[in-house]
Amino acid sequence: MKIPAFLNITKLERNAKAYICCFFVAVGLSACGDSTKSLTSEELNKLNKAYPTEDGGTMISAMIGEPSSLIYMIAGEAPSSAISANIFNTLLKYNKDLDLTGELVENWKISNDQKTITFKLKPNLKWADGKPLTTADVLWTWKAVTDDKNGSPYASDYQLVKSAEAPDPLTFRVTYNEPFAPAMDSWAGLQILPKHLLEGQDLHTTSFTHKPVGSSFYKLDSWTAGQNIQLSRNSTSVLGPANIDKLVSRIIPDNSAQFLELMADNIDSMGLDPTQFSRIVPARPKLNQTLNLYKELGSGYTYLGFNLKRKPFDEVRVRKAINYAIDKQEIIDGVYLGLGINIASPYKPGTRWSNPDLKNYAYDPEKAKALLKEAGFVINNDGILVRDGKPLSFEILTNQNKEREKSAVLIQRRLKAIGIQVTIRPLEWASFISNFIKKGDFDVVILGWGLGLDPDQFNIWHSSEQGGDKFNFIGYSNPKVDRLLVQGRMELNPDKRQAIYHAFAKELLEDSPIVYLSAGYGLSAIHKRVKGIVDPIPPAGVGYESEKWFIPSPLRRNEIVN
Amino acid sequence: MNTSAKISTNPSVLKRALSNPLAKSGFIIILVVFILAMLAPWIAPYDPDDINVKAILLEPSAQHWMGTDGLGRDVLSRMLYGGRISLLVGLVAVGISTAIGILLGALAGYYRGWVDTLIMRLVDVMLSIPSFFLILAVIAFLTPSIYNVMIVIGLTSWMGVTRLVRAEFLSLSSREFVQAARALGAKDARLIFTHLLPNSLTPIIVSSVLGVAGAVLLESGLSFLGLGVQAPQASWGNILSDGKNYIQFAWWLSLFPGLAILMTVLGYNLLGEGLRDALDPRSGSRK
Repeated sequence: MKIPAFLNITKLERNAKAYICCFFVAVGLSACGDSTKSLTSEELNKLNKAYPTEDGGTMISAMIGEPSSLIYMIAGEAPSSAISANIFNTLLKYNKDLDLTGELVENWKISNDQKTITFKLKPNLKWADGKPLTTADVLWTWKAVTDDKNGSPYASDYQLVKSAEAPDPLTFRVTYNEPFAPAMDSWAGLQILPKHLLEGQDLHTTSFTHKPVGSSFYKLDSWTAGQNIQLSRNSTSVLGPANIDKLVSRIIPDNSAQFLELMADNIDSMGLDPTQFSRIVPARPKLNQTLNLYKELGSGYTYLGFNLKRKPFDEVRVRKAINYAIDKQEIIDGVYLGLGINIASPYKPGTRWSNPDLKNYAYDPEKAKALLKEAGFVINNDGILVRDGKPLSFEILTNQNKEREKSAVLIQRRLKAIGIQVTIRPLEWASFISNFIKKGDFDVVILGWGLGLDPDQFNIWHSSEQGGDKFNFIGYSNPKVDRLLVQGRMELNPDKRQAIYHAFAKELLEDSPIVYLSAGYGLSAIHKRVKGIVDPIPPAGVGYESEKWFIPSPLRRNEIVN
Repeated sequence: MNTSAKISTNPSVLKRALSNPLAKSGFIIILVVFILAMLAPWIAPYDPDDINVKAILLEPSAQHWMGTDGLGRDVLSRMLYGGRISLLVGLVAVGISTAIGILLGALAGYYRGWVDTLIMRLVDVMLSIPSFFLILAVIAFLTPSIYNVMIVIGLTSWMGVTRLVRAEFLSLSSREFVQAARALGAKDARLIFTHLLPNSLTPIIVSSVLGVAGAVLLESGLSFLGLGVQAPQASWGNILSDGKNYIQFAWWLSLFPGLAILMTVLGYNLLGEGLRDALDPRSGSRK
């Protein structure tokens, strides 16, 4: 999807159900139409009238990448979670208003010392193959994820569990060394795997990665590498059956190609970029009439991050100067066509964790120049800032993402105006991560963070998490932030926790280890033949309860799905 | 000695080539493109890098003859400046490949024996590697930049010239005027540079002109893939690459750079063919 950042690999993806809709896909008969023509009023009525809920039909979506494995807890990548979230269940889930509720569990108890959580499973749960789903499966999944030999990217949260036990088939109990506030969120992210099919197997190479058996609404029908993944309804789903019969996800690695398929009505849903969303679709009557567009504030943001281990970025004055010299509103208007928000905390705006008193650095080139002068830089004859004979120049690395490349060009121009020379280097994702991020070999990067619902950001900012393999690859180290992050993890009172994270965001802004560029909106289009989408979009996102979506039979394609 | 028929310096050659209407149109196209690119700083209506977020993706109009791109930059100005880069890359790359080609071809064709074997096997090896992928691989190791693109294209496209020069040298060195010069005691260098090379220029010129067309295309291809000329510098290839994302909506971003590449390559090809006809005494189309 759009904001797929390095770090989409964090919790957002585990709780990815809200985002699933953007990934569903499929294949239909080509109905190439002229998208500039309008529908007749008859067609329009047929599309817009109310229909009763009914079973059946196929929903086709587009996805950019192909999963490497459907054991998401091991693969840890966005395409994998998009599919696996339809196949597997978690213990807990977020409801419409983002409060935790039980999915596989009926209820749970937290002990008085806040260190032990006891989950009670719903009775008579079954896997799609008919075998019973019990706490033995839950315990086994926990062991598999925390086992270092499996190398799960999510191991660290679950490794804080001191002991886990399954005293009977319906009871699962975990005990922590000390209270761990993000615990409940972590149990809403763990997809439970079937012990009876996986025990004793290598989770990286087992055929289960391509032929999973789960317990949720859908099961895998077929997977044609490089083409599509087809799911069909699981009649024994523990949460009751879904409405739509088949979900087809077509793998189309290029956003423009996806859009052509959307215009030809070969797919029902896809993620849009800002130009498609606010310029192309509104300009075409037929698209405008047949598509519902959704815009929701994601919990991710795009930033410019400094390598704090390199000079001169170790100096807070230089970082602040660069921050003042970048016009964030220009980036939001020019790159995101206004579909972004200028933020000052690393949290989704409007949530309780986002500190409303903070304001991002305003665009102020004079202040930037003054700060750099203070730091000892002088303008030479060529108009370039120099200190001790060395020019102030650096390279911005980013992945090949159009929005980020454009942002880099805007930044380059603003920095040139105050005498900083910048070169831009867009890199292919895999080589960017392995050759530059993991080796710490970069000056400045433009990347994004996708965040979870819990405010804990220990693994991004704590000084113990520095290093190329970890998320604090910019090398941030601040004792005060360290202390706040540890406090925030142990504090279970939401109001006290809020105060801690507000203080954390304030310190972070003051220190400016990164420049917040924009919190972007997630943009998507879904064909109007798909009914039952919760409107207006609840806090949980447009994909909330997608199992209740349905396609009325008069609106279905001629379904010859290959 | 002066009898060495200097075909290539015959003043009537260009005239003869241009008497062919196709070659003439090729020549005119290239001339126009060159003049426009040369005059870019004076005739471009805007600064090519001037971003204007309030004028994003405007259709061609009186203010912006070729519209604006995704960052509100004037496409006409970027096309003019991009033309300089594309043409420069084409010429320098072909300069490099022709220089290498002449040197190696002359050595192989003049000295023969193991030198010839060695060079020609090297040519075979280079030709057996798909050159676009070789270039992609090399650029991936280096930092993509306009200089690297010129050098890498130059270093990977000299094989054709080498073969042509060698073949010419082989056939020319048995001619009477060369034998005569050798009999008169001319040294290797004199034989190569005064007798053999000037008489081999015909195929070299033709192949360089055609080579520029290939290099312009290669540069566009690399820039299109993001491995050529880097932002914010414009080249036809990266304007086209930007335009790809908006192709259903902003046709002007793909059409103009596409046309420019097409016309330039066509121009060079027509001129090259015309020159070949005019310069090659064996060519049947010569009247």
